[in-house]
Amino acid sequence: MIKKTRNTEGVSRRDFLGLAAFGAAILGSIGVLAGSLRFVKADVYSEESKKFKIGKKENFPIGTTRKFDDKNVFIFSDDNGLFAISAICTHLGCIVSPSEFGFQCPCHGSRYDENGNVIGGPAPRPLEWYEINQEVDGTLFIDAGKAVPQGTKYLFA
Amino acid sequence: MQSRFYLSLLLISSLVLIAFMGIAFNREMNPEWKKYQTEYKDFLVKNAKDASTRQRAERIQIGMQQIYIKSLERSDRCMSCHRGVENPLMAEAEQPHRQHSGNYLENHPIAKFGCTVCHRGQDRATNMREAHGEEHTHWDFPIIPSKYIQGSCAQCHDYEMLRQEGGEKVARGEELFRQKGCQGCHKIGGKGGDLGKDIAGIGSRPFAYFSMKHVVGDHNLYNWVKQHFDDPRAIVPESEMRVFLTDEEAELLTTYMMTFVTAEMPRNYTLIKNVIQPKIDGESLYKMYCIACHSDGRVSLYDEIFKRTIPAIRNPAFTRSIDDEHLRTIIKEGRKGTQMTAWKVSAAGLTDADINKIIMYITMNRPEKKPEPFGFLKYKADVRHGEELYNIRCEFCHGAEGKGGEGFLGINLRNPAVQKADPEFLAITVRDGREGTPMVSFGMKGLKLDNQDIADMVAYVKTLSQKK
Repeated sequence: MIKKTRNTEGVSRRDFLGLAAFGAAILGSIGVLAGSLRFVKADVYSEESKKFKIGKKENFPIGTTRKFDDKNVFIFSDDNGLFAISAICTHLGCIVSPSEFGFQCPCHGSRYDENGNVIGGPAPRPLEWYEINQEVDGTLFIDAGKAVPQGTKYLFA
Repeated sequence: MQSRFYLSLLLISSLVLIAFMGIAFNREMNPEWKKYQTEYKDFLVKNAKDASTRQRAERIQIGMQQIYIKSLERSDRCMSCHRGVENPLMAEAEQPHRQHSGNYLENHPIAKFGCTVCHRGQDRATNMREAHGEEHTHWDFPIIPSKYIQGSCAQCHDYEMLRQEGGEKVARGEELFRQKGCQGCHKIGGKGGDLGKDIAGIGSRPFAYFSMKHVVGDHNLYNWVKQHFDDPRAIVPESEMRVFLTDEEAELLTTYMMTFVTAEMPRNYTLIKNVIQPKIDGESLYKMYCIACHSDGRVSLYDEIFKRTIPAIRNPAFTRSIDDEHLRTIIKEGRKGTQMTAWKVSAAGLTDADINKIIMYITMNRPEKKPEPFGFLKYKADVRHGEELYNIRCEFCHGAEGKGGEGFLGINLRNPAVQKADPEFLAITVRDGREGTPMVSFGMKGLKLDNQDIADMVAYVKTLSQKK
């Protein structure tokens, strides 16, 4: 009598133990796999930031054209807002300079209109436009890592 | 039975794994910096003055911040907690949110310089304890206390500019370094004595180099240097360093020590405006190399640390009786058996021109009147009588063996500088004594020995080096 009870209980207990053990093992493995996906994308990378500050919007009244030499970016300001155009020629990476028709590359004669569209020379693509953004304190910054569609202009309050 | 054992093992280990996963997940989701960034964002949203500022504040994305600067080999993650460091709206906030003090960031944008190049600390760390490199984090260069921070400025700037434009502490430290005679014992750039350690690179020396046993407070480079200035023997019991500094001077010199680093800044970071070499005349040289031991050189004093008397080298009674050539030999060759360093160019690095300037300074107040000649050669000296007189008259200060040293007021007479000296010079010294030192006159002006006795004594002293 006693022996029998122990037997039936023992069996069911072992079933429970087996279920629990394998269940926990599978759960743990899924967790480990899912957790490791977290590491596919790093929080930060060892590369220099492409963002740079350009000061307050008051520094760019309508009609301004400025070039940030060490960053190779032109900043313009017109009635529709501020916009930033790359000064790096899409052909072989020389630095373009402004001209009467827009931009002119000194290396192989690529020519761009004032929006950066190619109008002559070997350049394969128009000049890039960059995103302009604002810090909390109102300082403007350009993100030269983020290209935006041509004609994107920014008005800041 | 066996399968039950293995199943239990599997269950327990799986549960442990799940528990650890939970901890890891929790840590990953709640890093220290997240708390600070949330505080920062909430503060800005709450205190926004107008709608557009509030909008921008609400758009702030919370995430780890890093400034990577290739040429400095740094990945500064400080802004993960100190996100407000460039934000003028945070000028009044509490740390870690406060804007950087002063106008330093105007010319040192964080995007170009980062933080640790000036403040030190561990660039890649993501929590405060490790980033600041506090006790037991095993980081060699913890965050530098603000009282010493100007030591970092000298990585790129010259002292003349620092003196005028916000680096006065380190500039004063540099001046003190020259005035306190540190190079009398410590070599820097190949110049200086060798009683102390070469201090080149001390500001970037690893923690393990220092004996931290007696340092009070955090065991780090800054506390070691400051407390060593306060009392060298409290930190290094066998130290012979002679320092007499106020607390403020010790801080300034500690700041200056932090400028001796081995790494050089890249060219496009340095800014040297005024390359004015400080004027180095005889007086400056005396201060740089001699003053630590000889003080102003007017009185001789028994030194408790060196356990001997340090001679008064600018005392008129001394300069009157010694000629430049004799001085030059002592300075160039040093005095073996004493702390006096050999200063010639091949040893402590002073050029003949420097030594001449020092001699001119030492003998500046040399009296016009030469002492009356003694005429040592006229006397037929009796060494045996000299010994009897020595034992009565001289032993008390110079010791029975003439070695001077610990507990004796007199100098070591067995020293080559005495043994090789002109007997005429010695006889004059014995006859006239040395003002400003314990050496009294034994001649007619003082203890009234006649010249024959003095000649006998000098003759005996000259034989001391042959005695055992």
